[in-house]
Amino acid sequence: MNAVRIAWRVTRLNFRAQLEYRTEFLLMIAIGAIWQVSVIVFATVLLTRFTGMGGWDSSEVLLIPATRMLAHGLFVLFLGRVHGSGRQIQEGRIDIYLTRPMPVHRQLQLEFFPTNAIGDLTVAVGLMAGALSRSQLDWTPGRISYLVAAVIGGMFLEAALFTAVASAGLRYPAADYWSRWLEELLGTFGSYPLNVLPKAVGGLLTYGLPLAFVAYFPAAVLTGHGHDTGVPYWLAALSPLVGVAAYLGSRVLWRWSLRHYAGIGG
Amino acid sequence: MPGSIEVRGLSRTFHTTVRRPGLAGTLRSLVNPERVAKHAVSDITFDVAPGELLALLGPNGAGKSTTIKMLTGILTPTSGEARVAGVVPYQERERNARNIGAVFGQRTQLWWDLPVRESFSILRDIYEVPKAEHAARLAEFDAILELSTFWDTRVRHLSLGQRVRCDLAAALLHDPPVVFLDEPTIGMDVVVKEQVREFLRHQVEERGRTVLLTTHDMTEVERLAERVVLINHGRLVLDGSLDEIRRKFGSTWQVRATFADAHAEVEPLPGIAVLRKDGPQVVFGPDGPDAPTVHQALKAVIERYEVTGVAIDEADLEDVMRAAYVHAEAV
Repeated sequence: MNAVRIAWRVTRLNFRAQLEYRTEFLLMIAIGAIWQVSVIVFATVLLTRFTGMGGWDSSEVLLIPATRMLAHGLFVLFLGRVHGSGRQIQEGRIDIYLTRPMPVHRQLQLEFFPTNAIGDLTVAVGLMAGALSRSQLDWTPGRISYLVAAVIGGMFLEAALFTAVASAGLRYPAADYWSRWLEELLGTFGSYPLNVLPKAVGGLLTYGLPLAFVAYFPAAVLTGHGHDTGVPYWLAALSPLVGVAAYLGSRVLWRWSLRHYAGIGG
Repeated sequence: MPGSIEVRGLSRTFHTTVRRPGLAGTLRSLVNPERVAKHAVSDITFDVAPGELLALLGPNGAGKSTTIKMLTGILTPTSGEARVAGVVPYQERERNARNIGAVFGQRTQLWWDLPVRESFSILRDIYEVPKAEHAARLAEFDAILELSTFWDTRVRHLSLGQRVRCDLAAALLHDPPVVFLDEPTIGMDVVVKEQVREFLRHQVEERGRTVLLTTHDMTEVERLAERVVLINHGRLVLDGSLDEIRRKFGSTWQVRATFADAHAEVEPLPGIAVLRKDGPQVVFGPDGPDAPTVHQALKAVIERYEVTGVAIDEADLEDVMRAAYVHAEAV
């Protein structure tokens, strides 16, 4: 209980601190939104120029970037400080965290308030609202619950990928560059039905970097394309759980890496 | 034992890749990297008693910070054992963290965007310090460190001296029996340095805290420490009181005497050599391991010869440590 209270208190104070620099605060929100410009362009082109993609109609495809963006926005808000932890390692902040009686991962998340997440989430909520309003699906409580689970699972899966890279960064600081590449990859391929890509690329984004589980598989299950994804239906349907399992695995890796942390300098 | 530090055969080895020279060498290193072991700390053993302030000294890269990192639970040793207030720091990191305070002079443990006082109250929650106790301790620290003049300022706007004073307070707010200070006064002006020293003296003498301090500032060592441990190339080369070290490496004094008779016969005295003679000016220095102290030498010269003036040059601690480092390099 004390841990939740501290987390809430630090978050509140950090948020208030960011609010006091008004221009910086507004700029960060704008940056969060502008960063997603490629997704907005993708959605606009999709709706105005194409009737569909890879056997999916446009309203179905739109569900993929909407799910991914919402998952991403929540990741940035709740677990996103793990992305960019390389800087904290270089500056020796991890050393400071290790001398406090609190989990290092939690301290990393509480270092500052991610104002840009407000911009990310604003775009994501707008995109999801657009996707749902165009959707022909019957949004039963079951489908709504699955969509919510998919968004949360997507958040955990993205967090798992960045936590794995951050774990490598604890031993090899250069690994931080991989997190930039990962972000680029998620932004580039995260919005497409992966069946439009060559099989090898689709396979890589399923079994190598499991990007397909973030939004493509859940959207396929929701829209009735779940049997055409190239993986067993049950595996596609279990995407939210895959996200949670991957995150738990990444936290085990983080703990192991922290035990082998070599520090910077001296 | 509460407040004690026990270090037994502690070692830490880092493995790095050596890059061969030239383009071909670089490519060869990429395909077939040559790994070398760097022994940052090798088999060091020492104790710090409860309530003692020990200065851990050594040139840059000697292994001081690595030692402190192992004792604070940041790094796991390759071999050996350490106990801080009865806890093995790298095995029970969070439990150890409750027993220690740590200040790394070049890094802050405060929240960069928050006013200092907010950081203090977050730390109060983390360490679960009762509010009244927290307020009383803060008032005590404020009395020496004058924190209240800037504790409503955001950390990012503080000067170095202000920031380190706040870091010191933050490290001690939960009343830890053991404190690690890694170059706490680096880059500070003399006034703030003195304020910090007074604070540390107070914490050791009045509060009985055990302090392990690393510094390159010999004035600090002289003012605060009674005992020093010197490490070089990761190895412990000396563990003793300041007096012992002075006796061993500090006998570089000179007594310059002006004789009443410029032609007087000058003979060496026991343990005292004649270094130079230029007319009435004679310079004496220590001779051998049993040389007297500078004050004993002065007395002996005055008693033996008729002199009209004397001056003494005594090695300060910086010279003593330089001599100790040179000796350590030679061993």
